Amino acid sequence: MEAGCCWDKIFSKNLRVGERGGGQFAKWPQLRRVGSTFPGGYLGPMLFWILAAFLTFIAAFAVLRPFAVRQAPAEDAGAHDIEVYRDQLEEVERDAKRGLIGQQEAEQARAEIGRRILQVSEAADIRDSTRSNRRVTQLTAAAAVLAIPLVSWGLYVFTGEPGMPAQPLHARTAAEPADASIDELVARAETHLATNPDDARGWQVLAPVYMRLGRFADAQTALQNIMRLSGETAELKAALGEAMVGAARGMVTADAEGVFEQALALDPNEPKARFFLGLARAQEGATEDARTIWRGMLENLPDASPWREAAQQAMAQSGGEGASARGPAAGEVAAASDLSETDRQAMIEGMVKGLDEKLRENPSDLEGWRRLIRSYVVLQRPEAAKEALARAVAAFGDKASESAELKGFAANLGVTIE
Amino acid sequence: MSIELGHFALVLAFALALVQMAVPIIGAQIKNDTLMRVGEPAALTNFMLVALSFMALTSAYIQSDFSVLNVWENSHSAKPLLYKITGTWGNHEGSMLLWVLILVFFGALVAVFGRNLPLSLRANVLGVQGAISCAFIIFILATSNPFARLDPAPMEGRDLNPILQDIGLAVHPPLLYLGYVGFSVAFSFAIAALIEGRLDAAWARWVRPWTLAAWMFLTGGIAMGSYWAYYELGWGGFWFWDPVENASLLPWLGGTALLHSALVMEKRSALKIWTVLLAILTFSLSLLGTFLVRSGVLTSVHAFATDPARGVFILGILVLFIGGSLALFAWRAATLAPGGLFQPISREGALVLNNLVLTTATATVLIGTLYPLLVEAVTGDKISVGAPFFNLTFGPLILPLLVIVPFGPLLAWKRGDLWAVSQRLFGAFGAALAIALLAFVLVDRASVLAALGIGLGVWLVLGAMTDLVVKSGVGKAAPSVVFSRFKGLPRSVFGTALAHAGIGLTTIGIISVTTLETERIAAMQPGETVQIQGYNLRFDSLRPFTGPNYTEDQATFVLSRVTGKPLGEVVSSKRLYTARQMPTTEAGIRTLGLSQLYVSLGDQTPNGKIVVRIWWKPMVTLIWLGALVMMVGGTVSLLDRRLRVGAPMPRRKPAVEGRVA
Repeated sequence: MEAGCCWDKIFSKNLRVGERGGGQFAKWPQLRRVGSTFPGGYLGPMLFWILAAFLTFIAAFAVLRPFAVRQAPAEDAGAHDIEVYRDQLEEVERDAKRGLIGQQEAEQARAEIGRRILQVSEAADIRDSTRSNRRVTQLTAAAAVLAIPLVSWGLYVFTGEPGMPAQPLHARTAAEPADASIDELVARAETHLATNPDDARGWQVLAPVYMRLGRFADAQTALQNIMRLSGETAELKAALGEAMVGAARGMVTADAEGVFEQALALDPNEPKARFFLGLARAQEGATEDARTIWRGMLENLPDASPWREAAQQAMAQSGGEGASARGPAAGEVAAASDLSETDRQAMIEGMVKGLDEKLRENPSDLEGWRRLIRSYVVLQRPEAAKEALARAVAAFGDKASESAELKGFAANLGVTIE
Repeated sequence: MSIELGHFALVLAFALALVQMAVPIIGAQIKNDTLMRVGEPAALTNFMLVALSFMALTSAYIQSDFSVLNVWENSHSAKPLLYKITGTWGNHEGSMLLWVLILVFFGALVAVFGRNLPLSLRANVLGVQGAISCAFIIFILATSNPFARLDPAPMEGRDLNPILQDIGLAVHPPLLYLGYVGFSVAFSFAIAALIEGRLDAAWARWVRPWTLAAWMFLTGGIAMGSYWAYYELGWGGFWFWDPVENASLLPWLGGTALLHSALVMEKRSALKIWTVLLAILTFSLSLLGTFLVRSGVLTSVHAFATDPARGVFILGILVLFIGGSLALFAWRAATLAPGGLFQPISREGALVLNNLVLTTATATVLIGTLYPLLVEAVTGDKISVGAPFFNLTFGPLILPLLVIVPFGPLLAWKRGDLWAVSQRLFGAFGAALAIALLAFVLVDRASVLAALGIGLGVWLVLGAMTDLVVKSGVGKAAPSVVFSRFKGLPRSVFGTALAHAGIGLTTIGIISVTTLETERIAAMQPGETVQIQGYNLRFDSLRPFTGPNYTEDQATFVLSRVTGKPLGEVVSSKRLYTARQMPTTEAGIRTLGLSQLYVSLGDQTPNGKIVVRIWWKPMVTLIWLGALVMMVGGTVSLLDRRLRVGAPMPRRKPAVEGRVA
């Protein structure tokens, strides 16, 4: 692939994937499936049916062949036996001649085989040699020949996808970019970057696409590559932090906080970094500190900045309204904001304890486990977080995908178990 | 389109298998030649269709067509071509398709090579083969369809389990399946005989080559699997008494017994009913193995997917075929006439003893394998029956059998002279005893068992050679006569001698590696040296390396004799397969004579060293070389002219008629 051939295409597709509003981290865009149609003309499906019919014909012909070809009547099974015994006799002769068996032994063997040949001949004389039953034969043959197309086409209609063409990877990556889906374009870009890892423009295009597709780990790699190639800026640092938050499913981890602080060191007014640092405070329960940061943003950000809106929303939420249906009820939070610091702490602990107990009764609530582990981390009780993770893993089973997901989630918060 | 055509070919193969099952058997019942002849073209066409289907799936793997669910789940575009191809059967669905491909392949072979069989026997055999094909194709279509599609197709696959990304996957499953499924032919012959109510010496003569071929492939498959586990799992074990391994050992033991009893039946028309039963049991054990491995009842490397629906389906097939065939056996066995008589001390007697011991050993392994499953099903407790159980039960059964193996081929049919045979074996016995003593004195004075075991192996090898020496008349005739007699010996005699010698070699390998192996564990850093068994192993360097779809830390060791003579490098590494984030160890193995030095990397210690485990495995390669020799023996025996019995000439040619009379 020539360098940079499709960056613009990816970029324009990217805009079509869906606009993401402000800094509303909780609503990461869903990966929308783009371009799921069967390319190719009418010949493909038609040719398939022709070949399928051809195969059916071959199979039916295989069944019919013995009826069409006249063959000599079969030998009686007894004739086959005699052939084997004759061969055995010859073998005895050979062995005797070579001295492998003694004369007396050979004599006995000959007599025994001779007796068996006699038995076969007698049996053949009395064997009933009636053959055939025309009607059954014809019915069987007809049923067999009919069964082949009926069974095969009947079954295939249920199990197959006759209209779906093969899609070899090579052909897909070589196809016109305009017809390709966003996934395909990303894959092509990745192939290109795997061989040209120093193409900064490529990484620049991919980074926001990864963010939109929810591939946060890849987004982090891309951003780190951009910084490696074109130097660090506050904006890139903030974007890296955002990707880390995304990877931790919205939790501002200590690492991410560090990155946001680096961003502010480069540019103290970087809005994304400020917003997320505010969020970090809010997640720790220091709502007032968070509101102070966001209020500061509203004061000195230009009117056109999308982060104004984000800060406003965040202010509104932290001001009383419940975060989600599963979070604490609005009344409880409102009550919490009126309490003294120690009382509020006690109330939060009480809520966490309640959640903990709920999960003991109903351990299959994945989201609940996430909240519990996150809460313990926020409350700075790493041992309790570890224990909660261990319980969750025990509940889901060590090999379950939920366990793996929770472990990954917890690892991002710095909680690991053996 | 090629994928859908492959899918359609498989469905069509099912329809054709239905015909192959029903029409020839009906034909045999109403004695209609034309209906009976349908089996042959049906079997050939069926093979063509399933081969087409398998090729379609393989090409989807080669082209990384992720619109096929199975390819997406088990492949990756960066995988080397060989593993793309072998990945076709490195998963549940694909491996079942390979199973069926081999099944219809054997069906086609019977159609081609069975032209000298009596027509009704051939029709019934192909009919039973058709029934087995039907059951397994519908199993694939209903529960494990490899042609399920994915729309829209993802751009990258999830990669193959890294443990399976190995040349072993190219060899082990196809060989093993050739063995497992090859026994289906013996099974079909047995059922056909029961349906016809006719069973004679000719039957045994036709069954023997099929059994022999299946046995050979199974031997190779088991040996390959064992060697693969040995070098891949990182600690150099060659047999674990793992239920999945037992599942392959069971049909091997049954098949070995069947080979020997079919010999008696062919030569002496005796043991007929027993042979039919063994043929049924051997394939039943193959089916049981497939069930255990594929149903997810056992968790192991081999259990790709655990879907209860599949387990129930295979169990259904198992019950249908085992139950049905045993019921047919119970109903019809009485109609089969008993055969010739013999003295207890005779070739037949020795073969009966072999059969008794082998079937008892099979039962022992079966119990050890199924007992934990039964206990878990009944009480819910998880217990494990491991090596100690098998060593205590299987060992004492099989060791005496090995001791008497050399006597068998030397005994005469009908009535033998044990004393005369013993005299002929004096030489072999003396040599074996001498070597055992030598091993005791020179190698390891502590282990009597090792010395006796090695002596036993030598006894088997020399005993097998004695058979050849005696049969070519050494000491009784002039050297030139001896040479011409040696050349003229039937190939089956060489086959027997090689197979028995192979057992001896494997025994030597197993005994010496289990009793005389030494191990060193050391935390090393580059520059350090470890001494083991007269060799110096210097840790040279630890370097990162990037493969096509993995990254690894490669440790290079420099090997030399204690005397200083250099012997080159040994590379051992720890790999990480990036797509699945799965680590594996790649052992460094150096073969020195028949023995091997096995180097495996462990974890890094806090002070920057790396844990290195080194094993000295004396004569370990004999385990697999022995299996190879057994396979060669099987091949030689297959080439024996005896197995190429001509068909009777058509009746209407008077000239031939005259010659037969």
